Amino acid sequence: MSSAEHDTTPLALSIRGMTAGYGGPPIVHDVDMNVGSGRVVAVVGPNGAGKSTLLKAILGIARVQAGRVELNGADVTGVPLEKLARLGIGYVPQADDVFDGLRVRENLDMGGYLFNRAERAERMERALEVFPQLRPRLNRYVETLSGGERKMTAIARVLMLDPSVLILDEPTASLSPELSRTVLESQVRRLGDLGKAVLLVEQKAVAALGVSDWAYMLVRGEVVMSADAHEVLEKPDMREIFLGATAPSDEPGEAGAERGGMVRTSIREAE
Amino acid sequence: MQLIIEAIGFGIATGAVIALGAVGFSVQFGISNILNITYGSLMTLAAYVGLLLINHGVNAWLALVLGAVVVGVVSVVYHRALLAPLVRRGTRAIAMVIVTVSAGIILQYVIVSIAGPESHSYGEQSGSTLHLIGFTLSAGQVAIIVLTASLMLGLHLLLTRTTLGKAMRATSSNRTLARSCGISTDRVSDIAWLISGSLCGAAGVALAITTVSFDFSLGSLFLIPMIAAAVLGGIGQPYGAMLGGLIVGVSSEVAAAVSNPNYKDVVAFMILIIMLLVRPRGLFGAAWSTRRLMEG
Repeated sequence: MSSAEHDTTPLALSIRGMTAGYGGPPIVHDVDMNVGSGRVVAVVGPNGAGKSTLLKAILGIARVQAGRVELNGADVTGVPLEKLARLGIGYVPQADDVFDGLRVRENLDMGGYLFNRAERAERMERALEVFPQLRPRLNRYVETLSGGERKMTAIARVLMLDPSVLILDEPTASLSPELSRTVLESQVRRLGDLGKAVLLVEQKAVAALGVSDWAYMLVRGEVVMSADAHEVLEKPDMREIFLGATAPSDEPGEAGAERGGMVRTSIREAE
Repeated sequence: MQLIIEAIGFGIATGAVIALGAVGFSVQFGISNILNITYGSLMTLAAYVGLLLINHGVNAWLALVLGAVVVGVVSVVYHRALLAPLVRRGTRAIAMVIVTVSAGIILQYVIVSIAGPESHSYGEQSGSTLHLIGFTLSAGQVAIIVLTASLMLGLHLLLTRTTLGKAMRATSSNRTLARSCGISTDRVSDIAWLISGSLCGAAGVALAITTVSFDFSLGSLFLIPMIAAAVLGGIGQPYGAMLGGLIVGVSSEVAAAVSNPNYKDVVAFMILIIMLLVRPRGLFGAAWSTRRLMEG
């Protein structure tokens, strides 16, 4: 289910045959994925599909049992997270994405930890141009911010690193629908347009596909489908498959995992 | 009334030593999420290192600095060699407490086997008596108050003004996120254990300077007031521990003055229990930091 054919842009991040978990039975199985520079690639799927585990395996937090992760062609499988940051991989986790107990300014400072003071100041200026709303809140402790402001701080912090690859784990989780749209449409898309390779895990599938170039659907730890994100949105049958599996977080309350399981079966049958 | 004023003065001096210890204890918990009960025995170790040096003619204040350095280094090695590997293996918080209690007892016995069970004294180190705004304090006590205030100011500047200090706070707040920023959290932890271990050592020697005599139980007896101060201020919060130390010190000395000196430690216990009941996050603790204490 590789999608190397979908794109001619240079690959920034490649995952080849990855099986990973936390020491017990694997949670993701034989996953292949590619993210080119300047592309936003969405990974959608129901709850419990292994999306977050996949990201954690890429980042060396979960254990890779087979396969490899390549960054610009170099093998970075199992490389510790702090080294990946030095190699240009930025990460915004789903929860706990800011440093509580630190001010907004200090959060951004930590994003630019690898750089000297002057460089950090310059990068902070650039990050604040992207998120001007944070400027008057620089001296506020992040725990006093709203959910949206915290998320902006988290994304601004990762921009301080100026990474070539960005890994975003459900950046819209716990945000209002309106704010989710803003974050995806104006921030995540913009990151891709800035030339970064963005790997986006999202449950809000319609919104995620709307800002992505390519999409993978993960069900029970396996890639069951990969396709051009715009095509998925335009073709009713594909749209139904993708969104059938991932609808619950667009419309909270539905039983996503079960529906995901059904979709997987139907795709298998179709194949 | 004069009695109470004097007790307050004495309490500030005691509180300064408690604060020194409590801040180190709190920093360790903040950075590593480990309730290090060995801390008391490490204070005792510092007091005996100080004794050895003073018996060899070293000045008491230089002995304090050297005792601090020795215990700082011992703390880093202790964390690296024993505690960190256990944490990496997923050892539960309660098991970690048992490990640190056991290690503390072992260290105490090692000290006894080398230095003997009898009481020791640094001799007269307190200097002349000073009368300041109604308080009667020895020069030694005043020096320790000034030393504590300077160390606390230094720590404050380190934590808020330097990249290293912010990285320590970031690591303390969210280790994985800190690593994702490129922060080498193991190195930052080492530095935090060096600093907190040094504060532990300084507190141990300072305590020995201000007491008439001490034995192997010096640090373990001091552990409860220190933990009470750390919890009062909000565990993991250095500033809270500073104020907590002062409050515990003053209230125990005042309680001793107005009632019975034996109630001194009871006050610390009461503060500890009341805070855990009423406001477990402490005076300055954030909900997120206390969650770690309560949930382990």
